[in-house]
Amino acid sequence: MRMFISLRQWLRRGLFVLVGLLISLSLWGVVTAGQAQEITITNTATAGFADGAGVPQPVVTSNATTVRATVNPSELVIIKTGDRASAEPGDSVVYRILVQNTGQTVITDLQVVDTLPFGTKYLANSGRAALAGVPVNFASPPSQNGRTLTFSPVTTLNPGQTLTLTYAVVLTPDAIRGNGRNLAVANGNAGGLPVVSNPATFVLAIRPGILADCGTIIGRVFVDKNFDGEQQPGEPGVPNAVIYFDDGNRVTTDSEGLFSLAYVVAGTRTATLDLTSLPGYTVAPNLYRIEQNSTARMVKLSPGGLARMNFAVTPTFQEGQR
Amino acid sequence: MRTLSAYLTAAALLLASTGTFVPVPLAQAQAPTALRVIVNSHQDGAIAPDDQLTLREAILIVNGVLSVEQLSLTEQSQVMPISGEVSRIEFNLPAEQTTIELISLLPDLIRDGIVIDGTTQPGYGRDPVINELPTPKPVVAITPRPGVEVKRGLTITANNVTIRGLSLYGFTGDLSDPTRGEFFDLRGWETRMLNPRGLHRATATVPPADIFIAHKQPPPDITKQQPPANFAVYYPDDFPARNVVIEDNWLGFPPVLDENVRPVTPATRSAFGVSVFNGTGTTIRRNWIANHDGSGIITAVNAEQLLVTENVITGNGVAGMPDAIRLEGKVNQAKIAGNLVCGNDGSGVYLFKPEGAVAIENNLLTHNSRRLRRAAIYLMGSQHQVTGNQIRNQTGPGVVIMASPRSVGNRIQNNQFSALEGLSIDLVQLHQTQVYDYQRGDGPNPPRDSHNRRKDTANAGVNAPRFVSREFYALGTQVGSAANMALLAGAEQATAVEIFGTADPGTEVELYRTIGEDSSGYAPLAESLGTVLTDAQGKFKRVVTGLRLGDRISATATHPNDGTSEPAATAVIRSLDAQPERATSPLASVPRCVTAYVPPAPPAVEPEPPVEVPIRIQVPTRIHFALDQSFISPLTARVLDRVAEVMLKNPALVVDIEGHTDPRASDAYNLELGQRRALSARNYLIRKGIAPERMTIRSLGERQRLTQGSSRLDYARDRRVEFRFRDARGLELIVQEEDLQIER
Repeated sequence: MRMFISLRQWLRRGLFVLVGLLISLSLWGVVTAGQAQEITITNTATAGFADGAGVPQPVVTSNATTVRATVNPSELVIIKTGDRASAEPGDSVVYRILVQNTGQTVITDLQVVDTLPFGTKYLANSGRAALAGVPVNFASPPSQNGRTLTFSPVTTLNPGQTLTLTYAVVLTPDAIRGNGRNLAVANGNAGGLPVVSNPATFVLAIRPGILADCGTIIGRVFVDKNFDGEQQPGEPGVPNAVIYFDDGNRVTTDSEGLFSLAYVVAGTRTATLDLTSLPGYTVAPNLYRIEQNSTARMVKLSPGGLARMNFAVTPTFQEGQR
Repeated sequence: MRTLSAYLTAAALLLASTGTFVPVPLAQAQAPTALRVIVNSHQDGAIAPDDQLTLREAILIVNGVLSVEQLSLTEQSQVMPISGEVSRIEFNLPAEQTTIELISLLPDLIRDGIVIDGTTQPGYGRDPVINELPTPKPVVAITPRPGVEVKRGLTITANNVTIRGLSLYGFTGDLSDPTRGEFFDLRGWETRMLNPRGLHRATATVPPADIFIAHKQPPPDITKQQPPANFAVYYPDDFPARNVVIEDNWLGFPPVLDENVRPVTPATRSAFGVSVFNGTGTTIRRNWIANHDGSGIITAVNAEQLLVTENVITGNGVAGMPDAIRLEGKVNQAKIAGNLVCGNDGSGVYLFKPEGAVAIENNLLTHNSRRLRRAAIYLMGSQHQVTGNQIRNQTGPGVVIMASPRSVGNRIQNNQFSALEGLSIDLVQLHQTQVYDYQRGDGPNPPRDSHNRRKDTANAGVNAPRFVSREFYALGTQVGSAANMALLAGAEQATAVEIFGTADPGTEVELYRTIGEDSSGYAPLAESLGTVLTDAQGKFKRVVTGLRLGDRISATATHPNDGTSEPAATAVIRSLDAQPERATSPLASVPRCVTAYVPPAPPAVEPEPPVEVPIRIQVPTRIHFALDQSFISPLTARVLDRVAEVMLKNPALVVDIEGHTDPRASDAYNLELGQRRALSARNYLIRKGIAPERMTIRSLGERQRLTQGSSRLDYARDRRVEFRFRDARGLELIVQEEDLQIER
């Protein structure tokens, strides 16, 4: 580091004194976080002046003085995880925070501040802290202020010690408007100096759950033997039949002739049976309902609702014609 | 669900409200009089007391619906009471008027024991026409009047009915024509239901067939099924028709053969042959079932104790359900024995999710899967037995057993396979349910590596046997002298070979001689060499005689509970000093489903002079198509006529018809398009009289373009169907472009 200070104001007043200060600080030894370090501070002063005519005179440099000092860095590391990767409104999520003192200084007045995801609520009395398996009390009951949740465990954290903090939150319906990301920071006091940890984040994938406005479509493709459009015992499902939906989804039936499609946007949905995927079969006549004499089905899917699309087929004698 | 009393009340109301619904007087129904009714007219029309007794009137009389008093005196003379309880319909048609053209559906046969006997017609011969069928040619033919849609020939809803010696063809429903069938269908339920304003029909009609066997009042009659049954397909009192016999009939083509003894394709093909929709104990024997749009024999609801025997089933599945015999529904104790199944478009026998076990014995299945690559016999379900069959020239595997639904305990023993495209026996594993698995299986399985393979593989994943070595040495050294060895090698006859191997403990290992080349290590099981039981460690050892040097052998293992395994990888028989001879490949034969019966009576038949083989025959190898089209243009038809002419003159020619497209559009779409192009070319040739067993359809899509460029001319050349003749000796293959269709 090199610093040179010139005070022109003083020069104009004819004062001859100008102090330039040069401090060079060199660190010896390998720099590693959390280790006590021996450092040497070298200090050199320089001075110069200008005479009355304003002509600068040569600068003189003092001798170097050195100070040797031992530095004990203080450091807090925080890690945060949740018990699930995704949740939906109504679920409770248990968060677990590890605060570790990786420095060399005893940390007091430890405080963990968690900025919760939008639409989550601290579950009262769910906060627990423990140090090496021994429960730790809180100075005051953990409280939520807006999205900020503050824990102040009554403990000091010695170098190398780890505090475990668990608590639970409940997802409110508002959660689906947020992004599910929260941010925890620990801070404390290391011998009179404040120390702040890294921020830890955890992202929870928020599924809409019962608040979803998507529905589910289920259905089946089967060999209809009494031409009523319903599957009775003795009417086997047809595997590998292809159904195209109006949004381009292509769904194939399983070995039992069943299919389902989740997260279908609610509204009027149509789908059609691809007869080329069923060599030897075509749509069965329906002797009971005229509208089922078609390869296409239209259902009205309410938000979060369930709708059926059943396709009855029968052995054909004229493929590809209908 | 309705209660019984409610049902009875509903039935009584129905009877009371519609007096004409059941016109049979109760007393008459209790004491049926057996009648012999002789049909003497080929006319069909309204019931009238004239001097002609039609088949329609005869059926109404034996049904007890039409009383004899309602006939004219002339007609009454054709009806006579006979002893016994079985009414008979016989025929005495004028000699040149033996084709009965129907204008509408015939009445259902609703009385037990009716016999319709076409062999009573004067002129019914005694000699068979083909060697494969010991039945003379029928004389009486029943078909719809041209231009009229009649969905079924004979509908049988009673027990112990016999249909004998008739020809039925042309019974189908037209899915594309909106107007046909509107005016002539006297019953007309389905046309009213499906066609309320003469709009086009979007679905199939209810099952059409030459002969339809079902419970009383089958679909499209749903008056008894309001509402439909809830926990079964039909109500419990819809008894299946029992013990119907269909024998000595020709179904699907008029009783006329062309000069090659092939059935003539009628102008309108029938939809299905015999549809055993709901009938137990049905016997179908000595029929010739050919040229149907769909399957020759198909079952639906209940076909238990079905017996299909001694039939000739050729050229079916042209435009619909491709399998010759398709079994669905309840088929317990069904038996398919001694049939010739040849030249059909799909599998010979396909079991789709059946209930019950089936025996398939001593059939000859050859040249099947012309259109869809399928197994000759495709099995789902358990405890089926496939024994003693000959399976040849299949464009798919021999027998495939599906894993899902769970299929176990299927025994496949003592069959003869040759010229397959796939394994002789293929067990689908790992619950695989892809499209291929449901058609031609998944190929050789690795050894069972987990107990779960027992659950997710067909036949509980029983392991194929493994020989200790890929080579076995003839025990010739024990004979002694070198001279003897030389003699042995010269005759290519190995005295005895000791075969060692391992299989699952407790299984019976059947050793086979294989035939044909095997690049993958597997070959069709040609001939059984005997069986040997494994010991407790699964080892087996057997001395086999009668093998020749260079022969390849394989084996299957059959567990008493699990069933039969896939074939083992082959091993070759060598001698210690001589180089192995190459195993013989299957004999190339002229694909013919049936051969003409030559009556043995005239002893001095001169041998036919050998047909002069023309030096060079020009035959086009390519036809072209319009952009995104698969129809045959008039110019292309002229080219195809030349192909047909050459194929008619050379009955030994076998051709692969390959459909190609230009490189535009997706690969999957182009595969479909190529398939359609090859199919339309094939169907045109069938119309010209080429046997379907001589043609195989393949589609290559855009994978083998003819050109490299991207001009319109290049694309037009790419859009083609190529004829690849299996044996092109004596043929001059010419490339023609006169039917090129360049897009504008």
